Parts: sequence; C-alpha cells; structure tokens
Amino acid sequence: MRAAPRIAPMGERALLVTFAERIDPVANGRARALADAWEARHLGPAIPAYASTLLHFDPLRVDGAGAAALARRLASRGPVRRAAGRLIEIPVRYDGPDLVDVARLSSLTVSELVALHADREYVAYFLGFMPGFAYLGELDARINAARLPEPRLRVPAGAVGVAGRQTAVYPFASPGGWRLIGSTDAILFDARRDPPALLREGDRVRFVRR
Amino acid sequence: MIRVVTPGLHATLQDAGRTRHLRRGVPTAGPADRVAHAFANALVGNDPGEAAIEIAGLPFAFVAERALLVAVTGRDVRLAGRDRIAGWTCAFVRAGDELRIEGHSRYAYLAVRGGFDAPVVLGSRAAYPPASLGAPPLRAGAVVAVRPARVDASRGGLAVAAPRYGDVARIIVGPHDDRVDVASLLSSTFTVDERSDRMGVRLRGPAVAANDGELLSTGVVEGALQIPSGGAPIVLLADHQTTGGYPIAGTVIAVDLPLVAQREPDESLRFEATSERVAVAELQRVRRDVLALRASID
Repeated sequence: MRAAPRIAPMGERALLVTFAERIDPVANGRARALADAWEARHLGPAIPAYASTLLHFDPLRVDGAGAAALARRLASRGPVRRAAGRLIEIPVRYDGPDLVDVARLSSLTVSELVALHADREYVAYFLGFMPGFAYLGELDARINAARLPEPRLRVPAGAVGVAGRQTAVYPFASPGGWRLIGSTDAILFDARRDPPALLREGDRVRFVRR
Repeated sequence: MIRVVTPGLHATLQDAGRTRHLRRGVPTAGPADRVAHAFANALVGNDPGEAAIEIAGLPFAFVAERALLVAVTGRDVRLAGRDRIAGWTCAFVRAGDELRIEGHSRYAYLAVRGGFDAPVVLGSRAAYPPASLGAPPLRAGAVVAVRPARVDASRGGLAVAAPRYGDVARIIVGPHDDRVDVASLLSSTFTVDERSDRMGVRLRGPAVAANDGELLSTGVVEGALQIPSGGAPIVLLADHQTTGGYPIAGTVIAVDLPLVAQREPDESLRFEATSERVAVAELQRVRRDVLALRASID
C-alpha cells in the first residue's frame, strides 16, 4: 500500500502534489506518471520534480476541489511500468575552477574525483532552473559538494557542476552556486531543435572524459 | 509596422506566454502585468493573448508606418502625438505619425490592431532573452511588423477604466505555511527593492522567519511568495524559474499580481489572506470584462 500524496493549493490556479520529502526514484516515477496523466487530460501543464508534481489548471473550467479530487485519483493509479530511459553520453573536460577544491573537500585526489564522477550512470530526475537544465542524481557519497557560500555571478554555458548529491550541466550562462568541476561543448538546449532539450526526465546520463 | 524611435529601458514583445515547455525548464515569460496586457489587446479588438510590446522605463517613442489602431495601458500612462490620448483608450493613428508613450508605470503595454508579428518559438511570441527565445529586446531603429487587420478609424476613442493599482495584495496561504511565520508576513509592511525584475519582486522589511531545511525543489507558479532563509520575501513574476526550493508562504491571486509587478522601488506593499472562492470570482470578473470589451469593438 502506497502512502497517499499530500495535495495543497499553490494559488487558485495550481495544486502541488507531494509524494515524498526526499530524493527517491519511486516517488519521482509517481510524480512523472501523474504529470503525464494530467497533461493527457488537457487540463493544463504539469511540472514533475524530485518527489512532487505541480499541476496547473484553469479554475474557470474546473474548480479547485474537482482538480484536487482528480489529482488524487490519477496519483493513486497502479504501479507505473516504464521502459528504462535512453542512455545519453556527454563528453566532459574536467577543467572546472572548483575541481581542486571539491577534491580537497572530499579528501580525494583529482583523478579519484574525476573517476567517481565519470564512471557512473545518473538519472535525470527532472528539468528546471533554466531551459534544458536536468537535475542528475545521485553523486557518489564520497564526493563532498556543498554549494558555494556566495553564488558566482556568471557560470558559463556548458559548465558541469555538483551540489549536494546532484550534478548538472548549465545550458546557458547564468548566476549559480554549484561547484564547477568540468565543461562540455554539448548543446543542452536549442529552440530550433525538436525536442529542444538534449535531456529529458528519466534519461540515463553518463559523463565521458575528454 | 512600427519603427522604434526611443525604446525606453527594456522593451520586449510579449504574448500570453509559453506554457508547453515548462517541463523542459522553459519559463512562461509573457507580460509582467497580464491584466494591462489583456486590456490593451481587447481595446484594439485583438485576442487578449496577442503579442504586444511591454515597455519598462518610459518614455517609448515610435513611428506608425501605416494607419493603425493602438492602445496603451499600464499603471499611469498616456499617448502623446498630434493630440494627447489617455491610457486605456483605443486610438486611431495615421501613417507617419510619431507617438510617444509617457507616464509612470514600471511596465507599460502597446497593442496594435492585428497584433505585432514575430516568429513563433516553441509555441509563443513571448521574448525570453536569457535563452534567446523570441524577438530580442527592441532597440532604436527596430522595425516591428504588424499582422494584417482591418483598421476602422471610427473605433478610435473606445476607452475603459484602468484598474486601481493599490498597495495590498491578496494571497492564498500555503503550501508551506507550516514552515513560515505567516502571521508576521501578514502584519508587516514591506518595501520594494530596486533589484526587482521580471523574474520577481524582491521585498525589504521585517525578516519573515522560515525553515528551509530539507525542502526539495518543486514546480512553482507566478505569484508564489518565496521566503529565502534571510527572510526577505520574493514574489515570482513572468520570467521566474519553473522550479524552486524556498518555502512558499502563499501565492498572490491572479488579479492582484499586476499591482505587485507595478510597484516601484521604495514603494510599500502589504499582503492580506483571501480565499480561493474570492480569487476565482475576481478572475472571472476580469476575464468577462476583457471579453466584453473585445466584443464591443468587433
């Protein structure tokens, strides 16, 4: 028996459905399945995250109580069987400005850190923060990757960062607090491409040393 | 088409926004003041979600390269040309006229009959410059195409009352009211910080206690009132990130988000709790008014 999710309004036009309070592949699978089911009903867009789904709706078409009842029903559907995600390889140069610091904080040599980051398959839990930015997990527990105390004002496009148990590639230049250990020439997001984002939820991702 | 003479500080083309790619991390964008944007379109007989120009930092001046029906909306705006035309009014302008949008409005909207034209990117004409989506911000000399439409000079003069841009925004409390001191949020007066932009309105004032420990990122909506650990609230606007990890004390209701977006730096802002029922009734009223106005000109 699975726990019922918590459903709470976020304003009059959205519901937040929370399956768990931790990074968890099962909860993430339920979150993505609910997003798919909601979007299939054409009620509005849905945004799955680690363990929750945000459901948009038009309150002049369906009232909040009706939306919540439908969300509860769709969220309690049977187990989700999904094909394993695509395997996407991203070539990386381990040349980031924080590479040495992360190795030191983790009591690892740089080559040990690189091996731990590269020789591992990650799952794209969800996309957020900026177009094409996929939250990949989970890092090897031996990597200590606390966020920077002061975010950088400008992280370049293609930077590969780590934070907590997560890793990601910045598709565009932006401010950012993740520690940067590498860079890639891969184009993570291109509006002229279909689909525009290189990564999608559920993909398996491997970083390949260049 | 129109030719931009003075673009103001930051002028972009905005339709209702881009909602089909939220799952890929693509922000909605669209107008910061959705009500003023929708009324500008309705005043010239357009669909309320048509592409209009959003101007931050008036004045904005342009030349009408052909006869047009135009409308200007915002918190306190007017159109100066051969005559002075009040904001929230449909105006007929002749080919060759130079017009200037003046006033005090953090965001002002210029709509033309037919709508401005620009390539549709990922289902929308909304500009989102950080990812180079949509047309780039307008510069002096830029030419913006107008989609073909019948221009009937007799429609000029149609006007609607501007909504009141007050200093109290109503919120629906939650979902993280167990982590935030909502009572102090609702009893405090905040001041708008100058670092506010289309991503969010940042507030200064008494720190609001919030516990952000162990909170996972979730999808977030426009209007969400985030409380970062420093206790200075941020109200998310059109260009906000699709996901966020700060506790959300409440969400500003759709019809009050324009007043939040339009507050100038150093102006005050307060919050008041309301219900979903009130929020939906207000939204229904505004949508009905927009559609009725549009029907009256068609």
